[in-house]
Amino acid sequence: MRPENYQAQSHPPSHEYELNFGPNHPGIEGNYALQVRLHGDTVVSAHADGGYLHRGFEKLMEGRLWIQNIALVPRICVPDPVPMEVCYSLAIEDISGLQVPERAKWLRVLQLELSRIAAHLFYFGGHAATTGMYSPSFWGVADRDLILDRFEELSGGRVYHIFNIPGGVRRDIPEGFLGRVSALLDYLEARLPEYDDLLFRNQVFVRRSKGVGVIDQQQALAWGVTGPNLRATGLGFDVRRDDPYLIYNQLDFEIPTEDSGCCWARTLVRRSELQQSIRICRQVIAALPDIGGPVRAPIPNPLAWNVPVGESYTRVESSKGELAYYVLSTGGEKPYRVHVRGPSAMHAVQVLEKMVTGGRLEDVAQIMFSLDACPPEVDR
Amino acid sequence: MNGEVGRPISRLLADVDGARCERKGDRRVRIDATPENLPAVLELLKGRAGYLHLSAITCIDWMDDGEFELIYHLWSYEDRNLVSAHIRIPREPGVYLSVYDLFEPAGFFERDIHEMYGVFFEGSPDQEKFILTEWNGPPPMRKDFDAEGWVQGTFQWEDYRPEWLQEIEEKGGGIAIKPEQARANTRKIRGWKQ
Amino acid sequence: MNDFPLPVRAERSNPLARVFDELIDFCRARSMFMLHYCTGCGAIELPPAMTSRFDMERLGIQPMVTPRQADILLITGYVSIKTLKRVILTYEQMGSPKYVIGICSCTVNGGMYWQSYATAKKLNEYLPVDVYIAGCMPRPEAVIEGLRKLMGEIKAGRANSWERYFREYDRYLAAQQNLFGPNWQTPTDIIGEARDYQLYGPGTEGRHTELLQQHQVPLQPLRMTLHSDVEKSS
Repeated sequence: MRPENYQAQSHPPSHEYELNFGPNHPGIEGNYALQVRLHGDTVVSAHADGGYLHRGFEKLMEGRLWIQNIALVPRICVPDPVPMEVCYSLAIEDISGLQVPERAKWLRVLQLELSRIAAHLFYFGGHAATTGMYSPSFWGVADRDLILDRFEELSGGRVYHIFNIPGGVRRDIPEGFLGRVSALLDYLEARLPEYDDLLFRNQVFVRRSKGVGVIDQQQALAWGVTGPNLRATGLGFDVRRDDPYLIYNQLDFEIPTEDSGCCWARTLVRRSELQQSIRICRQVIAALPDIGGPVRAPIPNPLAWNVPVGESYTRVESSKGELAYYVLSTGGEKPYRVHVRGPSAMHAVQVLEKMVTGGRLEDVAQIMFSLDACPPEVDR
Repeated sequence: MNGEVGRPISRLLADVDGARCERKGDRRVRIDATPENLPAVLELLKGRAGYLHLSAITCIDWMDDGEFELIYHLWSYEDRNLVSAHIRIPREPGVYLSVYDLFEPAGFFERDIHEMYGVFFEGSPDQEKFILTEWNGPPPMRKDFDAEGWVQGTFQWEDYRPEWLQEIEEKGGGIAIKPEQARANTRKIRGWKQ
Repeated sequence: MNDFPLPVRAERSNPLARVFDELIDFCRARSMFMLHYCTGCGAIELPPAMTSRFDMERLGIQPMVTPRQADILLITGYVSIKTLKRVILTYEQMGSPKYVIGICSCTVNGGMYWQSYATAKKLNEYLPVDVYIAGCMPRPEAVIEGLRKLMGEIKAGRANSWERYFREYDRYLAAQQNLFGPNWQTPTDIIGEARDYQLYGPGTEGRHTELLQQHQVPLQPLRMTLHSDVEKSS
């Protein structure tokens, strides 16, 4: 396949050759491309090529009402959409000084953590598939579907929920919802040992991922790595704890870390996070019945809502890392500027290019999946 | 410690002419700098105050003022504080210095701003197109680029005029009302205030 | 897009040949390989559809990694202009008969990205689409329903819109050139293929294919040399 803008270049004679890794490639995550130069099996240099999923979100948001953008934001990251809605809502609430009711905050945390569990389950499947194991992807996707069922019950949408709006959440939970979520958490927790046997005690996976794609803490800090990938290098930084939003400072959870910084460590961190997320969900389920009150603060007529002049840089911890929104209002019907800082903007471009260089060709896919790079966040 | 974060920064910036610092929230500090002293401000923040993490660089197009605003969001893992350093550069010619030598993540953000706004960063390692490799128009995020107009001019929209709709339109109904118009009408009818 | 209705396949007089045709259609409908290319956000509903819960494989639908061996091109969601180029190149490489399914509302008319400068709006202008599955995003059941509809069409011998691409190539090329510029070229010789498949129609060549020849740059084969060859020649 030779795209029309591809110019064949004559290189000086060498054993090096060029390989287009993506966009139509089973080893690439989403619609993304890497041009790698290889010498034998060794990657000499890599060049990321994005933009296949570019929709111009930031431009679209400038042309739509504040409330219309709620439907746009979850589309920026498909596997983990809830943090996008929450982050955008938090930014607007910060600017306009809306007080979110207590119950809505807890409900948001419940969704955020469920979405994190779903994204991590999906991640296990994807990462294992790059090492040639397909059972975890069958398991992960099937277990993730059970979470999507709960989301569907809550909001009517399996993948895109659009349940969080500025001022709170759209409506209260249906009757018996907490019990069903609780049963789901029990099931997931009982499944974790099975995942351990399948993935983390499996020699195929262990030997394939241990010591591959290593970054140390200094490099990670210099390259702007965040989220689970940073925690896999031993630095316990989490936006939930260090820059708390919603009610995370009232919750009891740990920040799991690993020291080796390889693909194995990144997966293990996510596995421990899964357990912590289940723990957080349990706390929310225990606390929610005692928290009464409305789930939505009254907002002005959303079709003629002029958010007051102001700016906000809001951050949340998504399953992939630090997600931030810069929102600027000049007092108009529409935002003047919304800037989305997706965590993968770092991971999928600069970090990936540097990490695969010097490695082997068969590890390129694994490194990309182990970083949990999400191309739509890069392209926006 | 958190409450005291603002003061060390202001002390740190006392030597830099024209940099003002203002506490905006619990963990947010805003710095207004000038294009000349921003590299010094960032260097001080990174070297003396531990602001190691460049979270993002945001560009805003102030078309009416003829300026671009660049915002550097820095996070300190030790202070647990976020500093946003604002500068304004003239829209023409739209050239500024790269901070890649201080913060490596800047490479991506500067490349992104270069293709979306056309701001050139001197010293940035890679200003090649990344996302918009197949785009020949003006930098799309500039306020003077009319995306909707471009879309209307480029794509042919089939006029949706089935017979049953034409009948309704003859009677004065239909869907040929623009959303803005509809919104204004609703507002008028219900007496909502702006 | 039904300006030129496709000719219905003539029933063959030989009853054995008719049975044979039906058998081929039946087999085609039962073994569909869909190309593994996630062009947009709808791709997130394909893993559930493919794996244990909804299990598309029981219908004979499997992912396939190369375009040459695939039958179905699933366009999962909006196509940005950059992706559309690759999609067209991929489509032209697939062997006939080939089917295009547009999943998500964005492939129908641009969906919620109608204002966006980066996405192509109506997929049908650039490629002949067999089935659209609307929704944002359609559930796995809907995806499977759409695929079953396609299976039914194939079995009945009606899913031949891929012929349209050969018969009306000029019109599809016009839309492509409108978006990508007059220099747009693909390495596949569609007109030659149309003659080969005996699908050359009045719309195959026209104003726009002339432009194609005008801008044609002969493709040079990439020189593949090993180190030892270079040493010998130099």
